[in-house]
Amino acid sequence: MNSYLEIRRFRDDQIIWVSRNHLQLNQLHDEIITRVIHVSVKQMEERYGPLPCPFTFFMMGSAGRFEQSVWSDQDHGIIFQQQGTRIQTYFLVLGKEISQGLQLAGYDYCDGGVMASNPLWCKSQSEWEKQLVHWAIDSTWESIRQLLIFIDGRTLYGEVGYLENLKKGVYQTIHNENLLKKVLNNTLHLKKAIGVLGQLLVETHGPHTGSINIKEKALFPYVNAVRLLAIKGNIHETSTLSRLERLPENELPLIKKELYKNHFLKLLNLRLSLSKPDNYENSHYLAIASLSKRQKEEVKEILKNGAALYRYIRNLVEKEGN
Amino acid sequence: MDTLFLMNSLWVMVSAVLVILMIGGFILLETGSTRMKNAGHIAGKTILTFGISSIVFWAVGYGLIFGEGNPLIGLSDFFYSGYDVEGLALSGSVFFLFQLAFAGISLTIAFGGFAERAKLGAYLVFAVLFSLIVYPPIAHWIWGGGWLAEHGKQDFAGSTVVHLTGAMAALAATLILKPRIGKYNKDGSANNLAGHNQVFTALSVLILWVGWFGFNAGSTVSVDGAFFGFVALNTNLAAGAGVIAAMIISWIVMGKADVPTMLNGALAGLVAITASCAFVDTWAAVLIGFISGFLVFYSIRFFESKGIDDPIAALSVHGTAGIWGTLSTGFFATPELATVGQPGLFYGGGLHQLGVQALGVVSSGAFAFIVSFILLTIMKRVMNGLRVTEEEEIIGLDMSEHGSYGYPEMMKTEKTVISSEPKLNA
Repeated sequence: MNSYLEIRRFRDDQIIWVSRNHLQLNQLHDEIITRVIHVSVKQMEERYGPLPCPFTFFMMGSAGRFEQSVWSDQDHGIIFQQQGTRIQTYFLVLGKEISQGLQLAGYDYCDGGVMASNPLWCKSQSEWEKQLVHWAIDSTWESIRQLLIFIDGRTLYGEVGYLENLKKGVYQTIHNENLLKKVLNNTLHLKKAIGVLGQLLVETHGPHTGSINIKEKALFPYVNAVRLLAIKGNIHETSTLSRLERLPENELPLIKKELYKNHFLKLLNLRLSLSKPDNYENSHYLAIASLSKRQKEEVKEILKNGAALYRYIRNLVEKEGN
Repeated sequence: MDTLFLMNSLWVMVSAVLVILMIGGFILLETGSTRMKNAGHIAGKTILTFGISSIVFWAVGYGLIFGEGNPLIGLSDFFYSGYDVEGLALSGSVFFLFQLAFAGISLTIAFGGFAERAKLGAYLVFAVLFSLIVYPPIAHWIWGGGWLAEHGKQDFAGSTVVHLTGAMAALAATLILKPRIGKYNKDGSANNLAGHNQVFTALSVLILWVGWFGFNAGSTVSVDGAFFGFVALNTNLAAGAGVIAAMIISWIVMGKADVPTMLNGALAGLVAITASCAFVDTWAAVLIGFISGFLVFYSIRFFESKGIDDPIAALSVHGTAGIWGTLSTGFFATPELATVGQPGLFYGGGLHQLGVQALGVVSSGAFAFIVSFILLTIMKRVMNGLRVTEEEEIIGLDMSEHGSYGYPEMMKTEKTVISSEPKLNA
């Protein structure tokens, strides 16, 4: 495949077959994105000459966590080996090329600018190291948020090991500087999903009236809570399920681990099977009226357990007095 | 001169000033609850239509309400010249001003149903017609010695006369004008066209709350026995209960303490207690206010779900709460306080007073709605539509109706910021 539009056609042909299967869907996303990067690299080399040095391209956000729905926006970064003005410019242009390619292939631009075309997310190894330490020491709300985004990073193309090394450093800094509580506070706000009468709190206005935003209300509590546990337990995996899998008994008792894993997997499948994913925005909403009674109860259980996991973690971090 | 006469005049003059200041409250309420591009227009037209209402009230309105006539309408005392009225223990001019303020408030409430889409011309014409044909008959029936007064209808300061009348005209207007552009989606779901300034809206509630002491306590039109204090006490309690109830119901149903809902709860409490403030005990005032806080929440959702676009919740705050407030005396009026009519259901009065109150609500509400609907329909035909064009609505009525924005700096086109591009030489 030599062009982004060809890749787009490939995507449109294939995605329908896997759109209800979490694992296969995310494997397909990885494949599509990798193909885009191939085309971008080839075009760069044709236009501006060979790559100036080795690099790695990594995905963050839902792609980093291997948790994309049918539609997803792009969050990614580049780590290149050596520092140099021309080298940096080369990779920024590559980052821009990839972003445009991904956009043509069906992935919206990231509103927050978390893309390899942004100098903040496209740096040499040494500059990345400096930036990550700076983010950790700075520990403002904004910089901790950026650290958390980085922690969900997963290498998709290029040198294996660059990202791992940086992550090791980040985890160390967080532990050395006792930043766990700051990290907790960064993602503490939990959107209320169930009312005092036990009813699901749906959108009251706008095109999604009667639906609940499962990204904010259901996915985020699990993702954020488990990420925090992963940081605490020094686990470098990025998907919520594998993070949970890896957690030692003393961080989360086995029985709870299984419970949360089941609920999260159910949630991922529910999202794929029930939302109407005709575009990125819509894939976050679940129309409550269209659910059966049993499905509604399932959603409530998922939401309640997400909130419970959240409370568990808050207590855990606060008890440690970090 | 008689001291009581002077004291009465002074108290009612103070009250008239408070009620006229409520127009300021409505300016903040209506602008705060709507979008920036219409703010100047809404503020300006409110002053303009109060001016129109004042002149019409002087020329004709006062006479239609308080003049000698029949049970349906008054027919003397036009072009009132400031004379004292026989049997009235305060200055005639002061009484006139106080009544004029009420007529102005009712009209301002009616215009809530016009917000963000009616032509300026529609405001001007309807200001005249409402002040001539809609408000005076109802005020005459209840306060001017008309047929409902003979029945013993209890409406101390105007839950029906002022609030329900205004709300019914607003309902007719929203039905004829249709929803604002962008309020509803194709599938019928409603969008939240959020007001541009919650601080304005909250301040408006405070101004109205204080103004209501003039509205209700001033309606004693006398300092005799300092009864106005008790009326003010009930008024304050109902407003407090209304805001608390609205917060609770918003929390229970939506999981959040929604600010516009809380503010509407306070106003609903004030509207509801307006009829009953002089006839009920304090505990009943709390209960009346509390119930109105619940009612206004569900009423707003009801109208929205029916495709009726009510930008400042005039129908729910003044209509629904106005009806509840009027009926409430039929339950809670005490034998000691029911100087007009009879005690309510809970005080051994049976269903009699409740029936009278219901009759008042139905007849006044129906009259205000039907007459307003007919007037607006005729106006629509004669004036070639009541609504601004789509383009005008989108640029805002500040510009289309008045030629300048209320927030000129904010309405400039924002420049798109283009980030600097990395350049690479091949």
